[in-house]
Amino acid sequence: MDYVIQQVLNAASIGGEYALLALGLAIVFSVMGLVNFAHGELITISGFTMYAIFIFAAPTSAWGLLPVGIIAAIAAAVVFERVAFRPVRNAPATTGLLTAFGLSIVVKNFFVSVVGATRPRAVPTPDWLSSHIEIGAVHIQTLQLLEAAVTAVALMALLALLRGTNIGLAMRAAAKDFNTVRLMGIRANQVVLAAFVISGLLAGLAAVFIMARRGAVDPFMGFTPVLKAFVAAVLGGFGSLGGAVVGGLALGAAEVLFQIILPESIAGYRDAFVFLFVGGVLILRPQGLFGRKHQFGDKEG
Amino acid sequence: MTALLSQLGLGRQSLFGSLMLAALVVLIGLIVMAVAEKAQIRVANVFFVNLILVFGLQITMGNSNVANLGHITFTGVAAYVVGILVLPLAIKATGIPNAPFGLAEVLIHFVPAAMIAVVFSTALAFITGLVLTRQTGIAYTIATLALLVIVHTVLTNWVDLTRGPIAMYGIPIRANTVSLMLIAGACAIVARLFRDSRWGLQLRASGEDVLGAEASGVSVRTLRLVAWTLSGFVLSIGGVMYAYMVGTINPKSFYFDAVFLTLAMLILGGMRSVSGAVVGAVIVTLGTELMRWLEGAPVIFGGKMPQIFGLTGFFLGVVIVLFMALRPDGLVGDEELDEMARRLWRERRTKGAKEQAQESET
Repeated sequence: MDYVIQQVLNAASIGGEYALLALGLAIVFSVMGLVNFAHGELITISGFTMYAIFIFAAPTSAWGLLPVGIIAAIAAAVVFERVAFRPVRNAPATTGLLTAFGLSIVVKNFFVSVVGATRPRAVPTPDWLSSHIEIGAVHIQTLQLLEAAVTAVALMALLALLRGTNIGLAMRAAAKDFNTVRLMGIRANQVVLAAFVISGLLAGLAAVFIMARRGAVDPFMGFTPVLKAFVAAVLGGFGSLGGAVVGGLALGAAEVLFQIILPESIAGYRDAFVFLFVGGVLILRPQGLFGRKHQFGDKEG
Repeated sequence: MTALLSQLGLGRQSLFGSLMLAALVVLIGLIVMAVAEKAQIRVANVFFVNLILVFGLQITMGNSNVANLGHITFTGVAAYVVGILVLPLAIKATGIPNAPFGLAEVLIHFVPAAMIAVVFSTALAFITGLVLTRQTGIAYTIATLALLVIVHTVLTNWVDLTRGPIAMYGIPIRANTVSLMLIAGACAIVARLFRDSRWGLQLRASGEDVLGAEASGVSVRTLRLVAWTLSGFVLSIGGVMYAYMVGTINPKSFYFDAVFLTLAMLILGGMRSVSGAVVGAVIVTLGTELMRWLEGAPVIFGGKMPQIFGLTGFFLGVVIVLFMALRPDGLVGDEELDEMARRLWRERRTKGAKEQAQESET
């Protein structure tokens, strides 16, 4: 029983991380049709900012690094939008996707050039994040508990924002028809900015957890989590916010499940199995679990 | 012959244009062979392999206008298949003694081995294509990416067969500049003829407007499958040539760096034409060589430059971002070079005729 609880929590925390990232991808995609391949670089930038503060400001406690990481991710998302994505806002989806892809290469290699090498650099996170709590016989890592909880809170807050505020309403409307939103007198730039701020915030939260788990930064750290988040988003139905969350959790569960059932000798193939599993789901439901059935020629072509 | 061509929807200009393009590729090779030194010949060989890969990418991405990030998969599979088949037995005994299916005792002549590799990898392209073409839009692109990761995971983990992350070395070198340039030229013809064919035209129409093309009776899914398989074929040839050129392969050679490089080449030249692939490959190769020289801390004006890693990747990324923002159609754009030349020639002639007519009036 303890084992089961332990694994469920594993799945929830990894799934939560994917869900946070997938939500960021989904919200940007639903508002402006952009497939943000540079999302992972938000994590990298957040990590390296924490590293820079740690090296140059030498804070006495690692506490202060957490908000720094989150703010850095938000700032980076806003800068990305302004510098790279605004020029291609009205271009076809493929153009935006490739721009984001290029941007991601630029940021990665910028860090490779600046830091000089690709070997990981250690960054401390507060001790309590990696401590354990005992509940009965169950041994729980604070980090995992927090991750699951923060994902839930972030989801609730996002829901409240989307349902309860004007900008949230505008964002939901923009997902359907951006031009009508503009006709209602809402500035397009504001809506897009809001989408990027939210995606940056969610990526920043994920980045802090990733940092706590890895304890080190390197220029390529953002790639794998975001690749998984993409797969999660596609699994849930790309552009659907609920789908992003469910897809993230499902992917986390699938990973933990394969980790358990695959024998030691082929454990290295875990990701291949997970992706094949997702591929299998998509054969049965090409539009993803929660996606609207796409016809050729719909908004995303 | 002409009957067959017109059956495919190909006119004389397509034939002429594709031969011109192949001649251009061969000409580049001949110039390099005439003037270049050994190190530059190496660069040229790599260029030709990359050119083959860019042709392969152009066939699917250029015509259907949907981003494909997993194309290098088939290059990697073909390179590994050919590598395993032709590796000398002595090297196999130390490198992959436990290869499954008795492959440790298999040794095949390099030509049939290349054919087997290409057929195997193309078949894989067809099978994956059956699944992929059920997806549309972004899901399709992510699926191509997932395919790349799956195959990379297998290549890295199947240590008994591929030596895993360690390089597989000792593949006999069979490719030289002559064979590389001829095969690249042949692939140019394949890509150009497909682009101009009935199917290529229909696929390009679907790239402009999927719904419109479907409504006009174009079977977009089938055509995407055809393009994906043909592209897999060309990419497999590129993989075989790569293995025969360098003699050492590892899974990292067939991962994101190769994807970025070929993608940047195609985007810079303009993905909608095969000429664009050539132009892009030439310019990006020159650019990356320059960056690699800068990375190696050269001495400029008597001052030693600091050593900077990552410049090459940085350059590729900047090329992609700038071209997407400023010139999404690439340098060449929609027209092939020979079509462009023909148009300019015609315009000049009609202009000349008009002027003559005006003169005779006055």
